[in-house]
Amino acid sequence: MNTVPLILYVVAGVAYAVQFTRRSLSASRVASTLLILAAFAHTFIIGMETMRAGHVPFASTTSAISTFVWLLALSYLYIELTTAERSMGVFILPLLVALQAIPAARPMLEARSPLLESPWFGVHVSSLLFAYASFALACMLGVTYVLQFKEIKAKHLGFFYARLPSLNVLDEMNLRAVKIGWLFLTVGLITGAIWGSQIQPSGDPRMQSMSLGDPKIFVAVVCWALYSFEIYAQRAIGWRGRRAAWLSAVGFGIVLLNFVPVSYFFTTSHNF
Amino acid sequence: MQLLLVGVSHRTAPVELRERLDFSARGVDRALVALAGAPAHHEAAIVSTCNRVELYVACDDAAPAQVAVHHFLSDFHGIPGDQLAPHLYAKVGPDAAQHLFRVAAGLDSLVMGEPQVLGQVKDAFSLASQLGCTGPLLNKLFHSAFTTGKRVRSETTLSAGAVSVSYAAVALAKKIFGNLKGRTVLVLGAGEMGKLTAIHMKSQGIGRLIITSRTAAHAAALAQTIEGTAMPWESLSESLAEADILITATGSTVPIVSRTMIEQIMKAGRQRPLFIIDIAVPRDVEASAGDLEQVFLYNIDDLQAVVQENLSKRGTEASQAETIVVEEVDRFIGWLNSRGAVPTVVALRQRFEGIRQAEMRRLEPKLAGLPPEARARVDEITRLIVEKLLINPTEQLKAISDADTVAAYSDALNRLFGLTAEDASEESTLTGRR
Repeated sequence: MNTVPLILYVVAGVAYAVQFTRRSLSASRVASTLLILAAFAHTFIIGMETMRAGHVPFASTTSAISTFVWLLALSYLYIELTTAERSMGVFILPLLVALQAIPAARPMLEARSPLLESPWFGVHVSSLLFAYASFALACMLGVTYVLQFKEIKAKHLGFFYARLPSLNVLDEMNLRAVKIGWLFLTVGLITGAIWGSQIQPSGDPRMQSMSLGDPKIFVAVVCWALYSFEIYAQRAIGWRGRRAAWLSAVGFGIVLLNFVPVSYFFTTSHNF
Repeated sequence: MQLLLVGVSHRTAPVELRERLDFSARGVDRALVALAGAPAHHEAAIVSTCNRVELYVACDDAAPAQVAVHHFLSDFHGIPGDQLAPHLYAKVGPDAAQHLFRVAAGLDSLVMGEPQVLGQVKDAFSLASQLGCTGPLLNKLFHSAFTTGKRVRSETTLSAGAVSVSYAAVALAKKIFGNLKGRTVLVLGAGEMGKLTAIHMKSQGIGRLIITSRTAAHAAALAQTIEGTAMPWESLSESLAEADILITATGSTVPIVSRTMIEQIMKAGRQRPLFIIDIAVPRDVEASAGDLEQVFLYNIDDLQAVVQENLSKRGTEASQAETIVVEEVDRFIGWLNSRGAVPTVVALRQRFEGIRQAEMRRLEPKLAGLPPEARARVDEITRLIVEKLLINPTEQLKAISDADTVAAYSDALNRLFGLTAEDASEESTLTGRR
């Protein structure tokens, strides 16, 4: 089922690449239309899954990835439609395609254990997915900032210079995305802690190891620290621009690592 | 009808002559009325800018019309004909159309791809059309020129990229800061280049313009002319701390702004980048200041390299723009040729109508006995028959866009229906054959 949006994301990605390199107006209209179609198809699938399972599909890693991709596509579309700035699409789409390939290849086993029926769990996962989507956007903004920064510093005004919005805009959008993401990450971590302490006495073996020692929780706290530093540093020591951009790029790298390989292979408890 | 262009431009005439030929000084409207009023000309438009003076005329015969335009130019401006003649160029039919389309596209401009010329051509046309000097030929010609200009602008990047140092500086500043509104610009030195760049910045709506010079009086004078604030030389570091953009253009032989100075102002928890435009030779800012984080330092050579690159990019875009011009010229010539059939169509209709009316007159005595309604009905029916007979041939003739075919068809129709000889000759001039 997740294949239909995947195909649409792939086609939209190609269209975004064409519109970015050729700077053609018709290609950019096609690209936006395709992405909107993909988001619609994806919304439909998430809706179907919600109806079937009786709750939003994010209780397993695979379905959480699909929901994340859907959220990210919607967030990106929101930015594109409000700012009429399409140049970021070519950077976001490959991420959407790569991540959506996972739920397209693996079935979404949405068998929710009774442990996960707590409202705390719903808030916990949905805030984290929102946070990850914001960090993904911040990462793309950071990467494009660095690409353009290098061209301007090297006094070689080339490919990216001609296509990207100004450094200041990229910097401010990056910081805004990081702040929003940080807020959701904080909420996600706190609700996770509350929920964990509530069900601790239930005696489920997976709950026993739910502590900072769990790789997934540990890495999430590391991310929180890193993004907190980014927000602090830009105010206190003037780490704006390139340094903030790098922090955003590295931060999302860790988030992604935590989200996919750690969830599937390393974590001992946190793999519902 | 034929299309004729006579003109001078920066390619053929020195500025002294172009100045004397400039119509705006003596009134374009007066000139237009006089030009269009000449017996050889049916329609006229004048494109008069600082780089070109061009007269577009629709006439029956290009050769005498050209002579008339030459006389008009030398009489109107009081320049002897033999002084003028070597600088004038004349183009007829498709060549004239191609010339105007290239002008509108910015391909014939001094700075390739400059966008103002399209507006100037538009103004020239709207003035001519307001004065009633244009007709079907020039209307179509100028609208095709506007189409060409717009297509070149939207389909190529001929006009992209700044092609002067001060515009390049503004473009870079916008790429770094986004919007320049509310930004503070500090100008060091009261020279011409600094002033020019500051004026460009000012037009982008910057918040504050500070001017500092070793000679306080110079700073104050410049501050007054470009509406800035003069600050004493001694408070340079305070002014620097405020600035988002620093323009240095002093005559100093040693660097004035050192790396350490910049380092100090960038340190104090500053969240804004600093863009330094050093257009002084020798340079005013220590080059290593450009290595600092969030400092962008461009000197005059860097900016000139940007300009050169933009110019060469425009050069490569030009061939694409020329292709668009050729397409639009072909389309215009197609239209012109199809208009070549108009006299034949008119002659054919006149012939048919003539026959019908002659027959009606001949039958008059026989119809005299009928009631008036019945006679009106007969008139109506015969008119309809003629109309219906002519619908198809008219459409077919107007659809032909190739001059030779138009000529062959017209010739056949002339012979078959015995159309008058003068119609035929008028037809061949209007097609404006290549």
